Amino acid sequence: MSDVQNTLRDRVRSLLAEGKISCFIGWGPTRFKDRTIPKFANKPEDAGELVYNEHCLSNLAKYALDFQFSAEVAGIAVRGCESRAINRLIADGRLTRSKLYLVGIPCEGMLENGSTAEKCAFCRHRNPVVYDELIGEPVAEQENPPRFEQVLELESASSEDRYDFWQREFAKCIRCYACRNACPACNCMECYTEQYRTGWQGKQANTLENSVFGFTRAYHIGDRCIECGECERVCPMGIPLMKLNRKLVKDVESLFGSEESGLSDDASHALGCYDKEDLEEFM
Amino acid sequence: MELKKENLEKALTALTRLGKVLVPGVVDGVKKFVPYAAGADIDLDMVNTTLPPKDVLFPQTQKMYRFTTGPDAAFEEISDAEEQILFGARPCDAQSIDCLDKVFLSGEYTDAYYADKRGKLTIVAAACAKAAPTCFCRSMGVDPGGAPNADLLLAPTAGGWNLHCQSDKGKAVLEALSGLLEDADGQALPPAQPELVVDMAPVAEKISTMFEHPIWDELHRPCIGCGTCTFVCPTCYCFEMGPEMHGAEGTEMRYWDSCMFSEYTRMAGGHNPRPSAKERLRNRYLHKLSYFVERYGQTLCVGCGRCVEKCPANLDISRAIEMIGEAKTE
Ligand code: SF4
Ligand code: SF4
Ligand code: SF4
Repeated sequence: MSDVQNTLRDRVRSLLAEGKISCFIGWGPTRFKDRTIPKFANKPEDAGELVYNEHCLSNLAKYALDFQFSAEVAGIAVRGCESRAINRLIADGRLTRSKLYLVGIPCEGMLENGSTAEKCAFCRHRNPVVYDELIGEPVAEQENPPRFEQVLELESASSEDRYDFWQREFAKCIRCYACRNACPACNCMECYTEQYRTGWQGKQANTLENSVFGFTRAYHIGDRCIECGECERVCPMGIPLMKLNRKLVKDVESLFGSEESGLSDDASHALGCYDKEDLEEFM
Repeated sequence: MELKKENLEKALTALTRLGKVLVPGVVDGVKKFVPYAAGADIDLDMVNTTLPPKDVLFPQTQKMYRFTTGPDAAFEEISDAEEQILFGARPCDAQSIDCLDKVFLSGEYTDAYYADKRGKLTIVAAACAKAAPTCFCRSMGVDPGGAPNADLLLAPTAGGWNLHCQSDKGKAVLEALSGLLEDADGQALPPAQPELVVDMAPVAEKISTMFEHPIWDELHRPCIGCGTCTFVCPTCYCFEMGPEMHGAEGTEMRYWDSCMFSEYTRMAGGHNPRPSAKERLRNRYLHKLSYFVERYGQTLCVGCGRCVEKCPANLDISRAIEMIGEAKTE
């Protein structure tokens, strides 16, 4: 990985020096060996502070929104998950491809507490699906990671048990909204929870209001979730949010035959587009 | 006097006669202070709970009063304060309660809800024999070996804790524990020496002049604007109020709010004086390291490291303290 880091630094230094990009979004060091922090390189000299190692857990894609109104091109490091997130943000009308310069990095998975990060365990796209240049050689994809294993397990439980499970999990939620803010599919200009005096989302942190938020968010991203696992990673309460998201992803895939979200920047997505062929079992 | 580890469960059971006993434990994977029940998953060796003990005095959601609207409008106050014993709070936790006391009890206005709960709270603090990599209490003026505002201090020994009574409420605890304590002190363990050390001295000197400093232009950039740091912080105390209505009947509540949320400073008409993460993060750090010091003579950060541990972006207030210290002014 130190090769990748060196090449990344060289490339970013040149891109900034040539004026191809105005800023580069990558990772930087912290005082803790096992943590990195999103890092914004503004000048060629900053490139030397970029870091690439197995602790680059943050999905950087959403930081590209910081440049959505800028006239200049922003550079960003994209692994599989970032590249799909960027596609998602473009498809949702939040980013413009021509204003991004994507430096692809094939990824072999990150570490969390010494072992493969949960968010990487079920990854099906370690190689970026879109990029302007690639650092290093493509890596082998994981063969059929059991991405729906936990969903199947949950589906086999009775509805009472499933209800109890989610009530217990959402009882823990502190409504910090880290899941929403980290999620590339949660990209509304204004979240319904922040809308003034609508009364849609009570601020009380109790199981009822927490569930309203948790389930609303899950439904809203059900057909657009790119399965990067950021929401679950950042949740300070350890709520297994990906079990919920993958349930919806699985249903959307089987009901609408859609492909995984973020493989292209095509705007169509199952729940946001009307199709005469859609199932209408209940009408 | 020493409380041996093997007598801990008996001691906690004895204390339940005085009130609700809250101990550090793990519930559904979350480390927090939980009501003690025999056989519960308690862990007094855990360095810091993920959730701070502030909700013991200042719940995340507090019902304040019930009311009915219309011709028969009426109010009914809700008071749910009860005797509580916070057992095993860390020195930083105890110091955080001192900060909250300053906010809610000192000055012209006393917060009745907080005062009620505070009057009924007994703090049994446990000094630290080990520190987490994210602990920097000592740098923030907190002694990991003591807790001056606790009613009773537990100082770790090889086989349990030596008890130091620090108030009348502490005496009541000792009485409740009689028969469970050894007369002699045990061999005390040395207090923890957190490895993370930062220097607040240069910060104190110049931070009040740094509102417009360019340091804020970069510092905030990794911040995703969630409420994690403020909600896991033992001293952050911002709240908002609002009713929950069912027809003509309502309950007024107050709930934690976060200065890191975009709508926190949104005004009527839509203007927001803190439009981006830059202004919000600056406010959070300045409140902790400058404004609070000006008002109360102490920082609003006790160096517990919770926000450092849990920030999704790995922002680190201790690093900010260093950067502010190193920053050139003029
Ligand atoms: S990150 Fe976790 S605790 Fe925070 S709002 Fe989302 S589900 Fe709740
Ligand atoms: S500093 Fe970290 S925890 Fe706090 S609001 Fe920003 S991203 Fe969230
Ligand atoms: S600001 Fe962070 S380190 Fe300081 S008291 Fe709050 S949570 Fe602890």
